[in-house]
Amino acid sequence: MRPPAPKTSAYSQQEPRPENLLLLASPRAAKLSLGCPLLDRLLSGGLPAASVTEIAGESAAGKTQLCLQLALLAPLSPHPSSSLFLCSDVPFPLRRLRLLAPKSRPDLLDHVLVAAVHSPSDLLSLLSRAQYHLSHPSRSPHPLPIRVILLDSIASLFRADFDASPADLKRRSGLFFKISAKLKELAHRHQCVVVVTNQVVDVVEGNTGNTVAWSSGRQVSPALGLAWANCVNTRLFLTREVDSNGGSARRHMKVAFAPHLPVRTCEFVIRRDGVFGVEPAQRLYTDTGMVSKRFGDLSEYREAKPCANHITVAVTTPSCSRNSPLTLYWIKSSSDVIELNMC
Amino acid sequence: MNCNSTASHSFKYVTGAQNAWDMLSEEQSQKHITTGSGDLNGILGGGIHCKEVTEIGGVPGIGKTQLGIQLAINVQIPVDYGGLGGKAIYIDTEGSFMVERVYQIAEGCISDIMEYFPCHHDKSSSGQENLQPESFLAGIYYFRICSYTEQIAVINYLEKFLGEHKDVRIVIIDSVTFHFRQDFDDLALRTRVLSGLSLKLMKLSKSYNLAVVLLNQVTTKFTEGSFQLTLALVTASRQHLRRGWMLARKISFPSRIADSDSWSHSCTNRLILYWKGNERCAYLDKSPSLPVASTPYAVTSKGVRDAGSSSCKRVRVM
Repeated sequence: MRPPAPKTSAYSQQEPRPENLLLLASPRAAKLSLGCPLLDRLLSGGLPAASVTEIAGESAAGKTQLCLQLALLAPLSPHPSSSLFLCSDVPFPLRRLRLLAPKSRPDLLDHVLVAAVHSPSDLLSLLSRAQYHLSHPSRSPHPLPIRVILLDSIASLFRADFDASPADLKRRSGLFFKISAKLKELAHRHQCVVVVTNQVVDVVEGNTGNTVAWSSGRQVSPALGLAWANCVNTRLFLTREVDSNGGSARRHMKVAFAPHLPVRTCEFVIRRDGVFGVEPAQRLYTDTGMVSKRFGDLSEYREAKPCANHITVAVTTPSCSRNSPLTLYWIKSSSDVIELNMC
Repeated sequence: MNCNSTASHSFKYVTGAQNAWDMLSEEQSQKHITTGSGDLNGILGGGIHCKEVTEIGGVPGIGKTQLGIQLAINVQIPVDYGGLGGKAIYIDTEGSFMVERVYQIAEGCISDIMEYFPCHHDKSSSGQENLQPESFLAGIYYFRICSYTEQIAVINYLEKFLGEHKDVRIVIIDSVTFHFRQDFDDLALRTRVLSGLSLKLMKLSKSYNLAVVLLNQVTTKFTEGSFQLTLALVTASRQHLRRGWMLARKISFPSRIADSDSWSHSCTNRLILYWKGNERCAYLDKSPSLPVASTPYAVTSKGVRDAGSSSCKRVRVM
């Protein structure tokens, strides 16, 4: 049997020509910001276009939250664009998306195209249809071109229908490469930012060559094994570190591997208005006086960490000291301090 | 005299034939492409050799692409500074070639050249002008391909391209097997296509005096009751596992691949990159002239360098 010929008809196959790297550099460098300067610094500017980025992490690690945030940031980026949110974990977290969207900009939701995918074949057919829209932006009903593709999550597509038998594992990894090749093709041809989330599995066997990290006291690896690890360009790992008192969890985003980034980590928090990085071990600077004055009468602050445009303050307030002594507050401007006093 | 002329005459009969002595002296005078790490060059016998095919395998994140980019930059080090002053062809099947990283590695390479040749740099202002990261970027012919048909097309086209660009001294394919790991039902056909490609590359490397570097993924294989890592699409008929290696590494990697296999046949050298704890290591698995050896190396912000020169170990477990 002949292998199925890939559909390259849309892109006429002429003599291959090398691309000019000097010309490539500028549009390629256009990265999608994560909406937080600290996280952008971790990724040296944001998520790269023409590349597949995986966000792996256990449940409630903040994967979906991050995807929703990216979907809302896409229309606000220097190259305004729509995002295609492929959702395999039903139902789509519409309420969270609405909460995340700034109240002043309800129109941002118009630029998030949501599609449910239930199986690998479903995904492949959907991507082919997306390819049509991407290559004919004028015919697309959406005013902004799609430049962000989010798939949440790849692992749940493969939860059913696959055994651990060698034949099924082979079929599965064949599908990984097919999906990955398709995503990479779309990413390359249309300069899309592609984000795929992945779940984690406990590490049972010794070192199998896959990424390993500690999260919530368990040693975990991204799901789908080494075969899938070969399919992504960049892997980000979201981990949680549970405190001894079990109260607050410290979250970290780690660059597990990336062609353009060193292995490094940034702490982050999930707030009602999104995912934000936390500056490592730095004390309050300019606004310190004001903050401490404000907190002086109410409570005492334990730790204050500045992030480019806001400050995290961990405080102990009399009202909430019984249950959780540690509360995180975010201060962006001096007016927030007064608001903080109210609560 | 007479005898001599007939000898030279008979050489001409078989065009391109050389005697072993000429080949040896030519090989000794040949410059190699430095990997950026002295230790790595050491186990490779000076660096990546021209006229040879070198396969480099390893798990994701080990630094295959980094090494590929490094070689694409290092091949361009001017002859004045001990390099080859050639150009590179980079065939990217995976999309991991990031221009910003290439720029960084080029800058790292230039700063190292300036460090090693301070007087050179003072004397020849013209040479200094040449050393710009942009000119290194311009010296890489980059092909981004999105399917195996394109990959076959590009490799078939290489002959013509190399004919027009005689200064190309290295061809890098990152990675050679990615598009062949999709739903290829006919495994025999896949093997035929792949070995056809590598044969073609081997021929090109000989006729154009260039190095061919094939980056390859590794895959998990379930054999003899345990998971092992092997290079993708190497269908080993019999595997000689290195016992001591297994014990030292606790995983059976690298497993020796049977030479009867057609794909492994087509690579002259095979370098395997792996993690040893938090340290990156390289292991020369197969070479016609060099002993099997291993060495640590590092990937720094400047590119591939010797391990121990800086604190660039990966923290694997947080």
